[in-house]
Amino acid sequence: MTVINEDAGVASAGQGSEGVETPFQRFVSDFTESKIAVVSAFVVLAIVFIAVFAPLIAPTDPYDLSIVTVADKTMAPGAVMQSGQIAHMGTDGSGRDLLSGMIYGLRISLGIGIGSAVVALAIGVVVGLIAAYAGGRVDSVIMRLVDMQLSFPAILIALVLLVTLGKGVDKTLFALIVVQWAYYARTVRGSALVERRKEYIESAQCLALSKARILYRHLFPNVLAPLIVVGTMQTAHAIALEATLSFLGIGMEQTEPSLGSLISNGFQYIHSGHYWISIFPGLALLFTIVSINLVGDRLRDVLNPRLAK
Amino acid sequence: MSKFTRIGLAAVAATMVSGAAMADSAKLGIRSEPSSMDPYFHNLGPNNAMLGQIFGRLVDWGPKMDGLIPRLATSWKAINDTTWEFKLRKGVKFHDGSDFTADDFIFSFKRADGYTGGNSSFRTYTKGKSVKKIDDFTVHIVTEKPYPLMPNDMTSIMVISSDVKGSGGSANMGLKAKDFNNGTATIGTGPYKFVKWRKGDSLVLEKYDGYKGPLAQPWDKMTFKFIKSEPARTAALLAGDVDMIDNVPTSDIGALSKDKRVSLSSGVSNRVIYLHMDQFRDKSPFVTDKSGNPLDKNPLKDARVRKAISMMINRDEIVDKVMEGVAIKAGQLLPEGFFGRSEKMRPQEYDPSGAKKLLAAAGWGDGFGLTIHGPNDRYINDARICEAVAQMLTRNGIPTKVVTMPKNVYFKRASKGGPNKSPEFSFVLVGWGSGTGESSSPLKSLLATHDKSKGMGASNRGRHANPMMDEVLLKALATVDDKERGTLLAKATEIGIGEDQGIIPLHYQVNTWATRPGLKYNARADERTVGLDLVKE
Repeated sequence: MTVINEDAGVASAGQGSEGVETPFQRFVSDFTESKIAVVSAFVVLAIVFIAVFAPLIAPTDPYDLSIVTVADKTMAPGAVMQSGQIAHMGTDGSGRDLLSGMIYGLRISLGIGIGSAVVALAIGVVVGLIAAYAGGRVDSVIMRLVDMQLSFPAILIALVLLVTLGKGVDKTLFALIVVQWAYYARTVRGSALVERRKEYIESAQCLALSKARILYRHLFPNVLAPLIVVGTMQTAHAIALEATLSFLGIGMEQTEPSLGSLISNGFQYIHSGHYWISIFPGLALLFTIVSINLVGDRLRDVLNPRLAK
Repeated sequence: MSKFTRIGLAAVAATMVSGAAMADSAKLGIRSEPSSMDPYFHNLGPNNAMLGQIFGRLVDWGPKMDGLIPRLATSWKAINDTTWEFKLRKGVKFHDGSDFTADDFIFSFKRADGYTGGNSSFRTYTKGKSVKKIDDFTVHIVTEKPYPLMPNDMTSIMVISSDVKGSGGSANMGLKAKDFNNGTATIGTGPYKFVKWRKGDSLVLEKYDGYKGPLAQPWDKMTFKFIKSEPARTAALLAGDVDMIDNVPTSDIGALSKDKRVSLSSGVSNRVIYLHMDQFRDKSPFVTDKSGNPLDKNPLKDARVRKAISMMINRDEIVDKVMEGVAIKAGQLLPEGFFGRSEKMRPQEYDPSGAKKLLAAAGWGDGFGLTIHGPNDRYINDARICEAVAQMLTRNGIPTKVVTMPKNVYFKRASKGGPNKSPEFSFVLVGWGSGTGESSSPLKSLLATHDKSKGMGASNRGRHANPMMDEVLLKALATVDDKERGTLLAKATEIGIGEDQGIIPLHYQVNTWATRPGLKYNARADERTVGLDLVKE
């Protein structure tokens, strides 16, 4: 692993910065220059924390049918439920405490967003690196495949897949991975092509290192920066996409609602004045996506050498 | 501005306003699109409603399903124990100008009887009947045994033209479903002509000037817009995109009833929403112990367990909360006012402690686990009803999971998704609207012992079977005397639901339509949305 760090250090040292800080310290100081980005990063961390510890944080278990009762249906924020607990954000059409529903929904939304982004990233990196390093016909075939996929709107592909596969966590996850891998493949290939022509790769080749070793230990660490940026943005994109699909009623099951399905549930009550059922989950979704995007924006600014001051 | 100009402008404005209001075309926003324009492709509510405006039937139900009205038949009577005579209306012409005669009816009857490749068949109305032409305007329908429900059955068979040329082939008398979908064969005798069907979007019908028959023709042109999404349908009416919507979402009824821009009308339907329970498998796939492991015994086979489940369900809460008050608690197959009900039976009272005692007596005092399956786009609030039932059972010691799915997947699996085309699920929510307007249709389909060859128990997804009930029902079906038949049907209901708990009735649907002011929809009991019933006030 030391080799990687040296490689990375050498590569970016070549960009002309000097000083005693390690790259990571420099990254942190650059990142924290933007107040909004810091706040967003905290919001993202808080959201992840809430999602991970949902069962400990949520006032009630919205999936426990022995507590949830239709008698509590569509109660306004602040009302007292049959169980004696206060529904701070009201209840939804099934009588679930909306706040608890949102906390659990956040968990599903984030889980699917991050999960699909990570798997798609892994696939995209492998495919992209192979394309860049192999070049020639392999590259053309892979890239035409990527072009083909990118020429269709993501939502369309996801819709078709889910309509054929049906609802559920696994199926939504699968659809989102299929939709996203091409973005990563293209990004990785682009930066890998640039890196491939650099001297350190040439020298690695001269040392007769194996292809796999060059790919994994030398090329990969140097395309990480753009990947992190794309990965962050894509996670937000995946969360929004999942919410859209669930809103359309083909993503998640109603019994395990994500933020999108909660909004969709609330949409049925839009004419009857029960605004909270869709507004609150909508706001939660908005905050999540905006803060991830802000963090992603800042990451791009910091990690892109061309934008460096 | 001179006085005259002002008057002139006012007159122009008045004409424009009245022009818009009096325009003789109507736009109707409806939830469910027909699956085909072929009258025998699918025995489905939306198909039967829509196509009944294009095609005639011998006999039709009045809007409240309280009596039959003569359409293509002018009179009918049983001339002996096994033969019914129908006198056909003279001078009726099809939309293409050809004459309607007994041949067209016989052609239609045969096509309905031998239909292949459809989604669900009309054979239950044609089985065991043979049609004979006496002259151009008289037909005899003969059965083996006395069959009092003949006129009721004829309310389901639409008459198509025998002269129409389709795309050929040997199946279905040379007419394919697509010939109807593109309008080639969509030639009927009804008050409205087929103009255009844009799948997923709209259907346009036009007034047929040569119409002869009892039905009204209030509009020159009717456009049915298919708006599946509940809030979008309400929004379309409020925005003035459509003049009327059906299936007003129950959550909107409260707000809309106070809104001056709309007027509502509603009517109790012939549809009961109920639960089927697996009574035929010793190991039922979705019955588990409390932690979700398979059970080697099926508690649902025990009538006491089924009764206990019924007692755990708080029907008042379902009606008040889930249905927002727009439904009626059910204790049998049809609401008050329909034929063949039992006067003794009441909706089961909510009694959780009694239910627990009963479960304990049946040896299931520790409870077990269930999964309820249901559609999420077929009945009013269907998925929410499943959730509410699951909540109630879970609270009372039967932890229940909920799985809902779109109707096109659900019904196939619920009826024949299991091994050997058996029902796949153990505990399902379904609804049944009695097409014959009395209780023999649901008794025959839902509670009679499943026997495909006899056309019995066709939709009996729990496979309730009781020879005693079958006997009473068969006797009823062959009894011509109305009073006696009514008593027998009531008795069959008392056995099938009262004693056996063969199904658990929850509630009767109440359907709501909303129109813009100045219009009125005469609510129907058969749930159909028909442009003919939309009238100016």
